[in-house]
Amino acid sequence: MNNMLDDYALISPLRHSNNWLKLTVVAVGLLFGVSATSPVTPLFIALCMSFATIIFAKVPVKFYLQLITLPLGFAAMGSIIILFFFGSGHEIAAVDIAGYHLAIGNQGLEMAVLVMARTFSGMFCLFFLALTTPMVELFSVLKTSRVPDVIIELSMLIYRYIFVLLEVAASIKFAQTVRLGYKDILSSLRSTAMLAGTLFIRSWEQGEKLYLAMNSRCYDGKLVMFCPKNPISIPELLITSLYLVSIIALFITTNHMPAI
Amino acid sequence: MHIMEGFLPGPWWQLWFAISIPVILYGIHKLNRMMEEKRDLLPLLAVAGAYIFVLSSLKLPSVTGSCSHPTGTGMAAILFGPAISAILSMIVLLYQALFLAHGGLTTLGANVFSMGIAGPVIAYLIYKIGMKAGLNFYFTVFLATAMADIATYLVTSLELALAFPAQSGGVIASFEAFAAIFALTQLPLAIMEGAITALIFKYVIKVKGDVLVKLDVIGEAGLRKIQELTT
Repeated sequence: MNNMLDDYALISPLRHSNNWLKLTVVAVGLLFGVSATSPVTPLFIALCMSFATIIFAKVPVKFYLQLITLPLGFAAMGSIIILFFFGSGHEIAAVDIAGYHLAIGNQGLEMAVLVMARTFSGMFCLFFLALTTPMVELFSVLKTSRVPDVIIELSMLIYRYIFVLLEVAASIKFAQTVRLGYKDILSSLRSTAMLAGTLFIRSWEQGEKLYLAMNSRCYDGKLVMFCPKNPISIPELLITSLYLVSIIALFITTNHMPAI
Repeated sequence: MHIMEGFLPGPWWQLWFAISIPVILYGIHKLNRMMEEKRDLLPLLAVAGAYIFVLSSLKLPSVTGSCSHPTGTGMAAILFGPAISAILSMIVLLYQALFLAHGGLTTLGANVFSMGIAGPVIAYLIYKIGMKAGLNFYFTVFLATAMADIATYLVTSLELALAFPAQSGGVIASFEAFAAIFALTQLPLAIMEGAITALIFKYVIKVKGDVLVKLDVIGEAGLRKIQELTT
């Protein structure tokens, strides 16, 4: 039904690398990418992250390219607005639409390029995390970083039930499609509502069963989990430090513009 | 509507985190208190969260042809109240960022504020006022969820406008621009989601109305009245 990035993370060769190492790589990429004031650093981060995702994590190139089209739409729409409205400085190009004079200034252009670069660096970091670290590994990270127990419990149960419900939804939808439930807009509205309604009732019943099942196994508000220790290997450490040092160096040398 | 990773520059993404975190903490506090009273709540909330995720991954028949999907947060607010909805939305948004690459981590604060706080609060208020005023149940549900969507989209536009004010006209001009461009997909979507949520409630009331009474969504008398009207 959906391309779940988690499926790729579970079979990723980087799955058993140290979680904290991966999180550091991603966090540094996110923070430096978003606070850069020139597009050079974000683009470098985006490049490194794509390289790591395709070469180290062995994600199929075709699938990766498909993923990239996702953020493109939103980033393009937002950047167009910035392009026209953020503009000051000298005019580069202008169009007249319905009596409005829309001008692109050089500052607007710089800003739009910068925002695009930041979005891409951020998205690629996110892809790297999502494609190499399955949620089950992140739960142990959450546990050690003292997130309230209720939140972790809730997240784990939600995680489990997402897959259960997705399967139910997919089979109902398949059955509806076969019976021409989506032949036009009105019937697809009706089918969607029916699907969602049934799903709600099904999930409610599942919830009641789950409570019974957990209670009869002495559930006391805490699920215990196994957190394996994954040591960091020397080559990983070397590559990561090289990456961190070059990002910081680039960030310092290219951040000449005043912060916006 | 999610703001993509990296789109919001500092100090704005930090600011939205600072606004959202107290609400989430209040939600956790409330959740802990509710858990002491009703132990069976956690599994139910969990499936509700999973339900929101699955609902938001259903593609809606869209007029404009773009990929649009219901947010489900308006419905969560009617069922569980805004504080719990905020927590559920936060977890669902995190999963959407990690599983489907919708939204992002640095923009999580802003997205939680627009989708998990602003929308549900509006939906909850409209639902409560509508039920007090004795409006038709389904119409109130429609209005509440549609307005929750609209509120979410307006807040998102505001978040973007604050971060990128226009050179001439400032925040207001760029708010108008963002709102106008997103209105193309968001307004039909809001009406769709309102209609679908009303239909969902109709179906749930027909098959398993006692669930809604248990959640204090409607009273016993109200439920019987609605069931009589529809059959």
